[in-house]
Amino acid sequence: MALTGRTALLAALGSLVVGLLLPSWTGIGVVGGTVLLGVLADLLLAAPVRTLQLARTGDGAVRLGEPATVTLTVGNPSGRPLRARLRDAWPPSVFRPGTELTASRRRLLVPPGERRRVDVELLPTRRGDHRAHRVTIRSLGPLGLAGRQGSHLVPWTLRALPPFTSRKHLPSRLARLRELDGRTSLLTRGQGTEFDSLREYLPGDDVRSIDWRASARRNTVAVRTWRPERDRHILIVLDTGRTSAGRVGDAPRLDAALDAALLLTALATKAGDRVDLLAHDVRPRGTVLGRSATEVLPAVTNAMALLEPALVETDLRALTAAALRLAPHRSLIVLLTGLDAGPAEDGLLPLLPQLTKRHEVVIAAVADPLLAELATGRGTLPAVYAAAAAEQTQADRRAIAERLTRLGATVLDAPPTALPPALADTYLALKAAGRL
Amino acid sequence: MTTTAAPAAPAAEAASLTPTLRQLWHRARWFLAAAAVLLVAGLLIAGLGDSTAYPSLDPRSAAPDGTKAVAQLLRAQDITVDTTADADRLATPGGADTVVLPLPDLLTTDQLRALAAAGHRRLVLISPDSTALDLLAPGLHTAGTADLPLAVSSASAVPLCDLPEAQRAGSAELGGRLYQVDADSGATGCYPRQGYPALARTSTTQGTEVLVVGSGRFLTNQRLANDGNAALALGLLGTQPHLTWYLPDYQALPAGTAAPQKSFTDLIPDGWRWAALQLAVATVLAALWRARRLGPVVSEQLPVVVRAAETTEGRARLYHRAKARDRAAEALRRAVRHRLAPVLGVPLGGGDPDPTTLLAALGERLTGHRDPAGPRDLLYGPPPSDDAALLRLADDLDALERQVRQP
Repeated sequence: MALTGRTALLAALGSLVVGLLLPSWTGIGVVGGTVLLGVLADLLLAAPVRTLQLARTGDGAVRLGEPATVTLTVGNPSGRPLRARLRDAWPPSVFRPGTELTASRRRLLVPPGERRRVDVELLPTRRGDHRAHRVTIRSLGPLGLAGRQGSHLVPWTLRALPPFTSRKHLPSRLARLRELDGRTSLLTRGQGTEFDSLREYLPGDDVRSIDWRASARRNTVAVRTWRPERDRHILIVLDTGRTSAGRVGDAPRLDAALDAALLLTALATKAGDRVDLLAHDVRPRGTVLGRSATEVLPAVTNAMALLEPALVETDLRALTAAALRLAPHRSLIVLLTGLDAGPAEDGLLPLLPQLTKRHEVVIAAVADPLLAELATGRGTLPAVYAAAAAEQTQADRRAIAERLTRLGATVLDAPPTALPPALADTYLALKAAGRL
Repeated sequence: MTTTAAPAAPAAEAASLTPTLRQLWHRARWFLAAAAVLLVAGLLIAGLGDSTAYPSLDPRSAAPDGTKAVAQLLRAQDITVDTTADADRLATPGGADTVVLPLPDLLTTDQLRALAAAGHRRLVLISPDSTALDLLAPGLHTAGTADLPLAVSSASAVPLCDLPEAQRAGSAELGGRLYQVDADSGATGCYPRQGYPALARTSTTQGTEVLVVGSGRFLTNQRLANDGNAALALGLLGTQPHLTWYLPDYQALPAGTAAPQKSFTDLIPDGWRWAALQLAVATVLAALWRARRLGPVVSEQLPVVVRAAETTEGRARLYHRAKARDRAAEALRRAVRHRLAPVLGVPLGGGDPDPTTLLAALGERLTGHRDPAGPRDLLYGPPPSDDAALLRLADDLDALERQVRQP
């Protein structure tokens, strides 16, 4: 049960009656009895809460930063009208910031035997699964003095998917891809190219590409052309260890890495390549394997929604082993990790040859724009020391990148906004060079 | 863009969380049982234990300052011991009895007069004040002045008088108020302390034998076994077959207290007190209204917030604290060399360009603008000697870089 402000007000007004008319225990008893009778009547006459029929419909998944609507249907099977205050409780981060209180609470009037819909506007501010907590209803009696209160469990899960803000870069990269595909005039054969077609020899073509057998069958001289091989395998490996938890700007490094991985997935799928995903810290956190071209992007997006940085040191040995298991044949392995001196020197450098032996490896790391900002600090002593420290950090990262490059990997170190297009460009460049 | 695929469709059906009466009973019965056990145990303990607190010198009290022991001794000698809190009963004419009157000054003057007229055989007054003495014990006065009566703490004393009870008991612990005996009144003073008797005997015109003691401490359970206390007590109280022990009302105000002042609550109309009570009820109701939440607080796991640049900032503070000017200068210089090399077309061998090639290229670019020794000192010179030099070095490096980029 629950009381309302009206009960307190009634009791307060009763003090006038007690003070002026009946200054005795009798007066207090009369006023108290009146209030109690009203409260009891309200409790008896309020629509029951337990028998209410609640159901939910609405959005099940939403991109982060976009609003979703979840509809709650409240059915009142009793013979009394339901005058109620309703609270649809969700974790606070699901509501638009600042409206957590107002967005979750409603006043509701459901006539007997009817149903009403309550639309709850949600705007998740955090990636992942958000579960509805419970629906609490306070059903007030006709006098508005008291009400019955109870809760219902109406389960619903809203999945907030990664925002994929870098998808604005997709059209330009797809145009580049079409350009690449349409060129097809690779006259030299190499690794990662496949036979495309025969065409008439034009002056300037490499004579070594003349197909004499085909020329013999026709009257003109024919040359073979090659195109970048399709249906290559790409394995995106996300390091979800402690280095991915560091915040760059307002979001953890992992979010930037997810963005880059999504752009690459979208682009590679369009280019006809197969994309697999592995998220790993000390153990695999999520995998997307062997999906067809149409379903790989939704599957990857869904898998990414639940990834959270784990505050543990990544087991790079286990990560490498898992990656090698998932990529038995020559693949492009894109490793999204950090370039911090410690873990990279101890873990990545000795293990990289295992990967580069058979695979093309791209290592992409999220750089912190704050470092560049710090590096320009001048004027005061702390600022100059901060600049020196930032330069030192950047030099360390460069040194690591240098050593990784020497071991045969392609290293990208770019701030969050620049990393997705940079990774897409690297992929296109590798594809154009036939190195996949 | 909202995707239509609902990854996690409602797993379970909607269910009410409000407990039914049966569930409430199931949930609460053990708590109710525990509460009942506690209540019963508390009542038992309260019922079994004798927790009544008696005032001192009460013949029912077994506490150290009670006098149950002496009452029991008297009963063992076939003396009936009554207690009364009713002062009027003392005024009924007595026969062969003893009346014990602790603090007789708590009685009113009228009551004292009635008591004096009642004609009890023996009256034992315990630390009476001058009013009681004047009415009940002719020929006795308090020692000291009226404002500051003389009093000492109880201690062993010898009788030094011919009172038979005192002679039998020998030395006893007496003290408290001390009294003065009029020489021609026929009263006897015993157990003198500081020259004044702590026990005195006199008799009234009605034939009542009045014994005055300065303190009842020798009667208490704690002290009774000491010295000759028990013998003295039995001698004083046990001469008559009946003993009436008056229990003074310690809460009663001594006579003659000034009339109480009227407080604020006495001045406001009576009804408002009830109205205030009703307002308090309303306040409680308001508290209940506000205290009831619309469902519980929802908790949520929050992510850790670690800024990626934190380690770099920490390193900067370390440099600062350690005054690592050499390391800081080298970091700044290396960064500038690294940025200048591509501009000047010098190959970056392993992160740091070759000094001679870089300086040569730099000199060529800056010919006429700067002395050749300047860039060498700037890029490869000794570490700055003080903080000002470090600041200057940073600015000079910036200037050099600008010059190279826009000659």
